[in-house]
Amino acid sequence: MTREQLNKALLILLLVICTIWLVIPFGMAILWSLVDPSEPWTADRLLPPAMSFWRWRDMWENSSLQVAMATSYTLAPLAALLSLALATPTAYALGRIAFPGRELAKLLCLLPLVVPGFVTAIFFTSLLFQLGLHTWRFGAILFAHAVLALPYAIRIMTVSFEQVRQDHIDAARDLGATPLARFRVAFLPALRPGIFATLLIVFIQSIEEFAIAFILGSPDVVTIPTLLFSALGQDYVRPNAAVLSLILVVPNVILMLILERLLKSANPTLASGKG
Amino acid sequence: MTLRRWLTVILLLLPGLGLILGLIGTVVWIAIAQSFGLYGLNGEDQFTLQYWAEVTDRRVFARSIRYSFYVGTVSAILSVALAYPLAIWLRKPFTGSMTIGAILKAPMLVHGLVAAFLFINVIAYHGILNQAMQALGIWDEPRRLQNDSNAIGVLILQVWKNMPFALLLLTGAVQGISDDVLDAARDLGAGAWDRFRKVIAPLSISAMQAAMVIIFIGAMADFSFQVIAGPTNRQSMSQLMVFFKDRGDWHSAAVVGVTLMGLAMLGASALAFLARLVMKGRSR
Repeated sequence: MTREQLNKALLILLLVICTIWLVIPFGMAILWSLVDPSEPWTADRLLPPAMSFWRWRDMWENSSLQVAMATSYTLAPLAALLSLALATPTAYALGRIAFPGRELAKLLCLLPLVVPGFVTAIFFTSLLFQLGLHTWRFGAILFAHAVLALPYAIRIMTVSFEQVRQDHIDAARDLGATPLARFRVAFLPALRPGIFATLLIVFIQSIEEFAIAFILGSPDVVTIPTLLFSALGQDYVRPNAAVLSLILVVPNVILMLILERLLKSANPTLASGKG
Repeated sequence: MTLRRWLTVILLLLPGLGLILGLIGTVVWIAIAQSFGLYGLNGEDQFTLQYWAEVTDRRVFARSIRYSFYVGTVSAILSVALAYPLAIWLRKPFTGSMTIGAILKAPMLVHGLVAAFLFINVIAYHGILNQAMQALGIWDEPRRLQNDSNAIGVLILQVWKNMPFALLLLTGAVQGISDDVLDAARDLGAGAWDRFRKVIAPLSISAMQAAMVIIFIGAMADFSFQVIAGPTNRQSMSQLMVFFKDRGDWHSAAVVGVTLMGLAMLGASALAFLARLVMKGRSR
C-alpha cells in the first residue's frame, strides 16, 4: 500500500470515528432540544415525532437562564478587562526587562494551573468568610476569575512585549515622540493581537469556569455552567439540559475560532508593520 | 541592577505575579491551617491533629484516594498513548490533515459539563448506543451504562476532553524534529518502530511529560465528570471535599484538600519520572 492509499484509508477511518466522537453526540443533543412536549420521543422512533422550538422558548421564559446569561456575560468581559490590566505591568517586566530570577518568575506565574480548581474554590471561599466578605459574591467571583486567568494573560502579553522592536521605540524617541506617542506607534501595533487574544481567552475561561462560581456563588449567583450543573443533577430534564448545553457551547466555539485566528496573526512582522 | 531598577521590577510584578502568589499562597495556607484546626469558622482556633486522625481513619477517605489516583493515572496514560500515533501521523501536512487536526482538537472547545451531558445522553438506557446494539443483535435488551462501577464512563470523558490537549502539545514537539534526523535514522536501517523508540520518543519527551502532568492533576481532581457520570458508590477526592464543606465541616474538607494537593504533586512527579525512565530505557 502506498503512502497516499494509507492516508486515504486512515482518513476514512478517522471520519467514521469523528462521526461517533462528535456528530452523534451533538446531533442527539440538537434533536433532544427540539422535542415538542406534545408527543414524547420514545425509544422505538428514530426521530422525535413532533419537533418545535418550544423547549428553547420555555427555557428562555421560565428558567433562570436569562439571569444566568446576564451574570455570565457581565462577569466575563469584566474579568477579561481586569485580568488584562493586572497582567500588563508584569508582562512588561517579564518581556522587556532582563533581571535575575526572570525565569523563576515566569514559572511562578503558572501556579494557579497546578492547584486543583476545587481546592482554590473552597479555601478562597473560606478566606472570604474569615474576612467577612462572603456576602460580596459577584465581586469575589470576578476577582477570582481575573486572577486565575492571569497565567494565560501574562503569558500572551509577555510574548507580545518581547515582540515590540527596540529600533521602533528608539526611532520614535529620536523623532521626539512623547511617551504616549511612543506607546501608540511602537508598542501598540505589536501588542494589539496579544491584547485581543488575552481578552478573548480570559472571557472564555470565565464563561466556562465552574468550581468558583459553584462553590462561592451558590445559591445566589447563577452562571451558565452552574445552571447546567443543576439541570444535569437534581432537576434533570433531558430536553432542557440539551438546550442549556447548546447555549453554553455554541458561542464558545465561535469565540475560540476567532482566538485561533488572532493567535496566528500574532506575528511580529505583521504586527509591527515591517520585517 | 541598581536599587531603583529593582524597585521598578518589583512594582511591575506586584499586580500580576504578586496577586497570584498572594491568592494561591493564602488559599494553600488556609487549607493547611484549617486541616490542623486553625481558623475555624465557628470560632474555635486551636492547633490539633484530631481532624487528620479522624479523616484518615475513615474508609471513604482511603477509597477516594485510590479512586482519584486510578482516574488520574489511567486518563493521563490513555490520552497520551492515543495522541502519540496521531501526532506522528499528522507530523507532515497532507491533503486533509488540517481538517483532521481541527476535528480532533474540537473537544477542547466543548465545556466539560456539556461533554458530560452529551455522553450520558448517548449511553442512556434508551439512548442511541443501547438502541444500536439491540438493532445489531449484539445485546438482547438495553443495559444500564450510566454511572458504571469501574468508572469507564468517567475515563472515556476524560480521554475525550484531554486527548486533544495532549495532541496539541505532542504535535508541536514532533513537528520540531527535523526530517534530516529521521532520514538519517532511516538510512542507517531503522524501521518505523525503531525510529519512534530511538528518535521521536526521546526528542518529544518534555512535551509528553507536560501533557501527562497536566492531565493527571486535572483528572485526579475531577469533580463534575465524577458527579454526573461516575460510579455512585465511590467518591473522588474533590467530591469528598465538597461533601465535607457542604456539611460545614471545613476542617475535614481541608484535610482532603491538602492531601489532594500533595498527592497530585507527588503523583505528577512520579508519572513524569516514570515516563522518562521508560523512554530512556528504550532509547538505549
